[in-house]
Amino acid sequence: MTTLGVVGGGTMGGGIVQVAAQQGLDVVLWDVKDEFLAGSLSRIRASLQRNVERGRLSQEEADATLGRIRTTTNFAEFGAVDATIEAVLEDVETKTHVFQQLDEHCPPHAILASNTSSLSITQISAVTKRPGSVVGMHFFNPVPAMGLVEVIQGVSTTEETMERAVALGRELGKTPVRAQDTPGFIVNRIVRPFYNEALRLMNDGVASHEEIDRIMKGMGFRMGPFQLMDLIGNDVNFAVTGLIFEQLYGEPRIRPSFRQGRLVQGGLLGQKSKHGWYDYE
Amino acid sequence: MSEPRAAGDSVVIVYDGPLGASLADTIVAVLPGAQAIALKADGTLEGTARSALAGATCIVDATLGDASAKQAVIQALDAAAPPSVPILANALTHSTTELASWCAHPERVCGFGFVPPLSEVSVIEVAPGLRTSDVARAACIAMFEQLDKETAVVVDGAGLVSARILSLIVNEAAYALMEGVATASDIDAAVRLGANYPHGPLEWADRIGVDVIYRIITAMYAEFGEDRYRPAPLLRKLVLTGWTGRAAGRGFYDYSESSATPESSPIPT
Repeated sequence: MTTLGVVGGGTMGGGIVQVAAQQGLDVVLWDVKDEFLAGSLSRIRASLQRNVERGRLSQEEADATLGRIRTTTNFAEFGAVDATIEAVLEDVETKTHVFQQLDEHCPPHAILASNTSSLSITQISAVTKRPGSVVGMHFFNPVPAMGLVEVIQGVSTTEETMERAVALGRELGKTPVRAQDTPGFIVNRIVRPFYNEALRLMNDGVASHEEIDRIMKGMGFRMGPFQLMDLIGNDVNFAVTGLIFEQLYGEPRIRPSFRQGRLVQGGLLGQKSKHGWYDYE
Repeated sequence: MSEPRAAGDSVVIVYDGPLGASLADTIVAVLPGAQAIALKADGTLEGTARSALAGATCIVDATLGDASAKQAVIQALDAAAPPSVPILANALTHSTTELASWCAHPERVCGFGFVPPLSEVSVIEVAPGLRTSDVARAACIAMFEQLDKETAVVVDGAGLVSARILSLIVNEAAYALMEGVATASDIDAAVRLGANYPHGPLEWADRIGVDVIYRIITAMYAEFGEDRYRPAPLLRKLVLTGWTGRAAGRGFYDYSESSATPESSPIPT
């Protein structure tokens, strides 16, 4: 059984820790401060408790899950891990700093994964002395509920590392898919037209955002594009589109919509700000 | 003309392929007196079709042919039916305004569109052109309401709303496949599980018909003239070689042996 190191106990990292411990892996969670670790553990405990209340998990299983999680603020505790998954801020400086630490402290056989959704695995791998062992493992939020992990191969990532990351994804109970290190990988790139073309149709006056949502739900999508942008947050959605557009050096298919930019500028971010394409008061 | 047509009215539907046939079957099953007419292989109408059209109270063009075939069909319908009879036309590959521009009586043409199959769609897009009359527009809404569908009135233009968005998702997936980002089955699994779409984009294209998707994208590329709508060369190759999806036995996946496990042989990238 794999011993897993997880870096960062935020929403994604905490979700990965919970899923790994529930699947029986021993997990070491690192974060910068003890209070962050305590907060992360209490969120995991609350999530497990909800599962117990809903009858999805026994109290014994929940307790055993928590018993498999250790926390630390010291990377020296990663001396016996087989794999690590980094889930810190989506910022290349922060991530490369973490990978230098991991490279120094993890055993030579360990694979080092990053849960990045938008940065280049190749760029992150290049700061380590083991770029062949660096791989992307892009999980989806919320991690316990979403069944997918994109396993990303950088230009240096070895086939053996890919196979081990795919196996780790399965060990975590997820369906792994393989993708090359390309802007947006699979999902975030292929779903761009769902938002971008809906914005274009609205901007061109073809139909209102309410009508576009109604039409798209009428063909089987669970949510319309504007409802989904409001759920994700227009700031986040707009930023992801912009990043992929830049990384593809201005590919016109991915060009962001100034109309969504206006909502971001105006603070109409969606559900979290009570206003977006729709009002939520 | 806003009230539903009475039973006994004569709706004539003209179709040229499996998609149109499914709409034709539905209309014939629901509307008494409706007649479905398959076009001949060369896209022309039989003599008997002309007499049916002459007695029609409403005509539905469910064809999705290329530009010259579509123009031939629309003009034949316009010539055969009395000028007061509405022509409701599939407007995914041409704007309603363009379809109407081929007619002696442009005001009677109202476009519509949906992503097939009809049974999986609850909202039909109704797309009046610049000159579409209120009568034609009401006839189009009334017909789909009789088929128990909701309608949404949108501005006409290639792809309309749902087919425009979906075909560009398929196009992006085809580019990703062509570029070697991932295999077809991994692309589909990723989009199904990571975005909760009802189908992966490539398997969805195989169900609809890669040729239909390609025709819609090329229509948008022609109409809007932007790189944004440039079809993936892989789509064109699939169409040229006849690998147009499930109905053809092969598309992005090979369905020839065991259709239950199309993942077994994704096309090489």
